[in-house]
Amino acid sequence: MQSGIRRATIALVVGGVLTLVAFIGTFFWAAVPNFGFVRVPEQVESVRYVGPFQQEVDEPRYLTSYVDHTVTVVADGEEYEGRLVEVSEESIVIATDTGDAGAPQTTIDAADFESATVTGFEYGRADWGQKIFYFHVPVAEISFLVFGFAAFYSLRFIMTRKREYDMKARISMEVTLTFVTLTMITGILWTKAAWGVWWDWEPRLTTYFILTLLVVAYFVLRNAVEDEERRALYAAAFCILAFVDVPISFFITRLIPSNHPVIERGGLEGPMLVTFIVAQIGMIALGYAIYQLRMGEMLLKDRLETAKTRLEG
Amino acid sequence: MELRTKEMLMSMGLYSLLTMVVYFVALSQAGAGFDVRDIAAGLLWLAFIFTSMLGLNRSLVHEKDQGCLEALLLSPVDRPVIFFAKVIGNLIFLLIVEALTLPVFAFLFLQGEALSSGALLLVPLVLIAGSVGIAGVGTLLATMSVNTSGKDFVLAMLFIPLMYPLLLGAVTATGAAIAGGPEAMSAFWTGMAWVVGYDVIMLLASYGLYEFIVGA
Repeated sequence: MQSGIRRATIALVVGGVLTLVAFIGTFFWAAVPNFGFVRVPEQVESVRYVGPFQQEVDEPRYLTSYVDHTVTVVADGEEYEGRLVEVSEESIVIATDTGDAGAPQTTIDAADFESATVTGFEYGRADWGQKIFYFHVPVAEISFLVFGFAAFYSLRFIMTRKREYDMKARISMEVTLTFVTLTMITGILWTKAAWGVWWDWEPRLTTYFILTLLVVAYFVLRNAVEDEERRALYAAAFCILAFVDVPISFFITRLIPSNHPVIERGGLEGPMLVTFIVAQIGMIALGYAIYQLRMGEMLLKDRLETAKTRLEG
Repeated sequence: MELRTKEMLMSMGLYSLLTMVVYFVALSQAGAGFDVRDIAAGLLWLAFIFTSMLGLNRSLVHEKDQGCLEALLLSPVDRPVIFFAKVIGNLIFLLIVEALTLPVFAFLFLQGEALSSGALLLVPLVLIAGSVGIAGVGTLLATMSVNTSGKDFVLAMLFIPLMYPLLLGAVTATGAAIAGGPEAMSAFWTGMAWVVGYDVIMLLASYGLYEFIVGA
């Protein structure tokens, strides 16, 4: 039992350090992918500079997002070049002499508008919301993994009827519940950032929600059975049945069209991959630490009970 | 036994009729452009799943109250036989109730209009495949839940999440059969594959676990 606590402490320290390293790596090292672009009229210094752009516009209302850009407007057969000052439903105002504040302005009737060419500079827009990936994915994978252990111990329990396997299965399920909750929290935050909604009934999210319900149901079942032997057996049987949802949830994004992103083979490189793996190992260590700590607590409780009965008897 | 059969059928049939009443209230607010056929598959399976839960619970509560299960376990019959006997019993009840519910649903909500131009003959196929899964897993879970405090709630808590893959496939397949057309047919067979795959895996798992559960 002493060794269990020692192992838990080591795992806790290792997991904590690795998670911290992953945290630092996530924020200062790993690249952030672009999502979408920002267009500005003048070039500014930025690491995310993409290059100049040229955009053809065929309706005046699309010009509203390009105020201050350099435009060439063709209206009524004539060409006007300059800085776009104002766009309204009736007219388009252009400062023909670019750069000078007091430059002469030309007003073009919007009804005469034929086409326009806008030029400026384009920058990548960092997708900061993606940073949560380094925590969400490891945590989710470990929730599947620990559920697997719980199912394995449940199977062992049914085969051997040893109390220790029931305890291991139960503690594994507790760890699963912790990680499932973490996955849900990080996932919901990401969904809000990336999709603009808190929840979507999308295949992966739905199956994972079902998984959450199954884990909760496991504890509901345990609490509803009085007899200890029976409780252990019922819980083990249910755990094995419930495990069927794990492969479904894991593979569903690869089987049916889904909005949930999937990491493809070779999709991660360099700093991103290293950070991801560090986070993954850190989370495994943390999960193991929680498991061992709970285990130590349970064994201690057992010893206390035995001592109590012995004192009374 | 005869008496109990009648009582079970009556209560399950009435329950599904009551579900129809609830549907009517729920759908009464729908606008004029609403076509009940679009969501008929979902409504039907909703009724089946809740009715089956009622039936499963009752089928084992009786046994427990009257000590039938103990008597069965004492008798020189293999436990897998008991499992399959119970599954088939529950399956027959479920199929009878489904056969009764379908015309009632059509009568109340479609008022004589054709349900669809689709391949309606395929609907019984889904019903049978889906009911096998419900009866198989349901029997195992009900055997567990009758020995718990708060039987009905525990059964619902265990049953509905576990049923999710089957329900999804069954609703997809039924909806496709109602809609008809070549595109729907591929959706139908995908749904059927889900249901049958689920049936096979879950029946085997339930069969394997029943022996341990029923003896406890």
